[in-house]
Amino acid sequence: LLWKESWELEKNPMASKGSPLHGPRTKLIEKAQNLFAETKEHTFESKAAEEHAKLLRLQHELEVTTKQAIFVDSSISDTIRTCIVLGNHRAALKVKTEFKVSEKRWYWLKVFALATIKDWAALEKF
Amino acid sequence: MAQIPNLDNAPVNLTSIREHSQKELINILKNVRGKKCLVIDPKLGDSLSLIIQSSILKEQGVELRHLSADPIQSDCTKIVFLVRSQPDLMRFICSNVHDDVSKGLQREYHVYFVPRRTVVCEKVLEDEKLHHLFTIGEYPLYLLPMDEDVLSFELDLSFKECLVDGDASSLWHIAKAIHKLEFSFGVIPNVRAKGKASVRIADILNRMQAEEPVNSSDMVMPEINTVILLDREVDMVTPLCSQLTYEGLLDEFLHINNGSVEIDGSILGLPQDGKKTKVPLNSSDKLFKEIRDLNFEVVVQILRQKATSMKQDYTDMTTTTQSVSELKDFVKKLNSLPEMTRHINLAQHLSTFTSKPTFLGQLDMEHTIIEAQSYDICFEYIEELIHKQEPLITVLRLLVLFSITNSGLPKKHFDYFRRELLHSYGFEHLATLNNLEKAGLFKKQESRSNWLTIKRTLELVVEDTDTANPNDIAYVFSGYAPLSIRLVQHAIRSGWRPVEEILKLLPGPHLETRRGGFSNSPSFDTLSGIPTSMAKVPDGRRALVLVVFVGGVTFAEISALRFLSAQESMAYDLVIASTKIVNGQTLLETFMEKLG
Repeated sequence: LLWKESWELEKNPMASKGSPLHGPRTKLIEKAQNLFAETKEHTFESKAAEEHAKLLRLQHELEVTTKQAIFVDSSISDTIRTCIVLGNHRAALKVKTEFKVSEKRWYWLKVFALATIKDWAALEKF
Repeated sequence: MAQIPNLDNAPVNLTSIREHSQKELINILKNVRGKKCLVIDPKLGDSLSLIIQSSILKEQGVELRHLSADPIQSDCTKIVFLVRSQPDLMRFICSNVHDDVSKGLQREYHVYFVPRRTVVCEKVLEDEKLHHLFTIGEYPLYLLPMDEDVLSFELDLSFKECLVDGDASSLWHIAKAIHKLEFSFGVIPNVRAKGKASVRIADILNRMQAEEPVNSSDMVMPEINTVILLDREVDMVTPLCSQLTYEGLLDEFLHINNGSVEIDGSILGLPQDGKKTKVPLNSSDKLFKEIRDLNFEVVVQILRQKATSMKQDYTDMTTTTQSVSELKDFVKKLNSLPEMTRHINLAQHLSTFTSKPTFLGQLDMEHTIIEAQSYDICFEYIEELIHKQEPLITVLRLLVLFSITNSGLPKKHFDYFRRELLHSYGFEHLATLNNLEKAGLFKKQESRSNWLTIKRTLELVVEDTDTANPNDIAYVFSGYAPLSIRLVQHAIRSGWRPVEEILKLLPGPHLETRRGGFSNSPSFDTLSGIPTSMAKVPDGRRALVLVVFVGGVTFAEISALRFLSAQESMAYDLVIASTKIVNGQTLLETFMEKLG
């Protein structure tokens, strides 16, 4: 039952996707995280919810600094790619360390992103 | 509409089933006098197109509309809704009616549920205070002949409903459909079932027979000798592999829907106006009947041969003088030209997909996973797919296949994959992963895998498969013999008993019984095999086995069964019934939770 309840919470924020009310959304997800955390079997789900909330906050910040509403609701990988495409390598690195992205994935993302913007020089270097 | 298949060659009289459904629908419409507007739920409309031509409906004074949230545009005062029993469809109906009421329109409303009314749906009408406005009826359409030898129950979601939601209503539906068949063709004496759902269906079927018996005394010999029920859960490996038969590939890349594909006109060499064309695919098309079940490699060769021989004939024709009879032959051949051009175009279009390195890589990986010898290679391959953010469904297909053959992944890897998936594709997929875990398709390893034993004992991997002259069903996957069909093979040949050890390794219980008027006569021994005297129906036709897949069947499996049925040593005709024709993609898509 507990699980179901938290599940609904997970779903709710999705239903209000795209709404500018990110504050309540992150709160809901955090609540879900706590509910997940109460049972032993759902440590993974709880972790995921925690990361999700963190991601949303980070994306929100990015949107404020870049003044482009393109970050929220994209995945971690997509966020990194967007950062690199925009030439914001520092932000990309920050996302990488925040979420402990493995080197392997990081390289793939970087290669793809650099190829998208045809930054062959940077690609060569790396 | 050429989409309605010709059923004259069917091993049982399927035409009568179709005509019966047709008549029932027309009766419903006749009961509503005068001009009426028939509003069909779009999903159902597709299915109905296999039963009845829209021209026949028009003769009944019917205007056709598809049900949606938008108000109905029609002058008719009588509206007939024909819908599946789903609460969300009821909401559409309600919003339609509310719209009429607000406009002050007075109309007569009828709702017909397919195949039967449910309390939930009527409750929705009651809650909206509209219940009194409706005349409610049922249109008992339980199964749909898709082709000469294929029936569908049209239950798209049954697999997911059973495994994730614990909703077993589809099982009742299947039992009811089989029971209806028994009214036409006599009580089926032998029942073999494997899997939880199948055994339950057999059980419900017996209860239905007890409550509402088919009178077997006036039937000399039941037309269907055996029914084999098989849960999709028993063999999840096969549908996740890429099908390599012509029809299978058409489905994988172009999605066959109710016996036809919708493609860009340009593929068929039609003028490029961006319009979609519907190509019917069923046994009425002779050439398609010949090549649908073959391995795609072979299909390309055959088409090439046919084209060259045609060309040869043509040059012969222009150079030498011909007798009238030869001319006649030639013209006859020319008549098959449109079919040929069509399939050559389709095959060409398919080969643009099959020659892609990603497709070949995927095939290679599927075989490696099935071989189950090199865990690390598979692990790294899938990891790389995720990192490259390949389409999620492609990744999930391999991942689920990987998980099943290993009966789950070690916890560390399981969590790693889940984390990487969420990171790469977004956290909204947590719900999907959860569904898959609940269904046991992608899960934590809890016991050692039996896959190697199963694979070896049932000879699932066949070396040196000759795709051109196949001697085993393994040709449909170029070397992998579908587990499900191997089981059917055993069930037909000898019953479950000789393979009991293997059955125990697969999910769900199994069951084997005899029913009807035959139940008291035979001793236990004859239970396992069908006595040879039973195998032949007096008029020289072969006896019939109905193979029911609970949770979906792939075209490749149908092909494999047709191949078995065509073998000389085979004493039976096979008819296939399934909740739905699926492939790895459509099957997994039912597990994807649509959020936001």
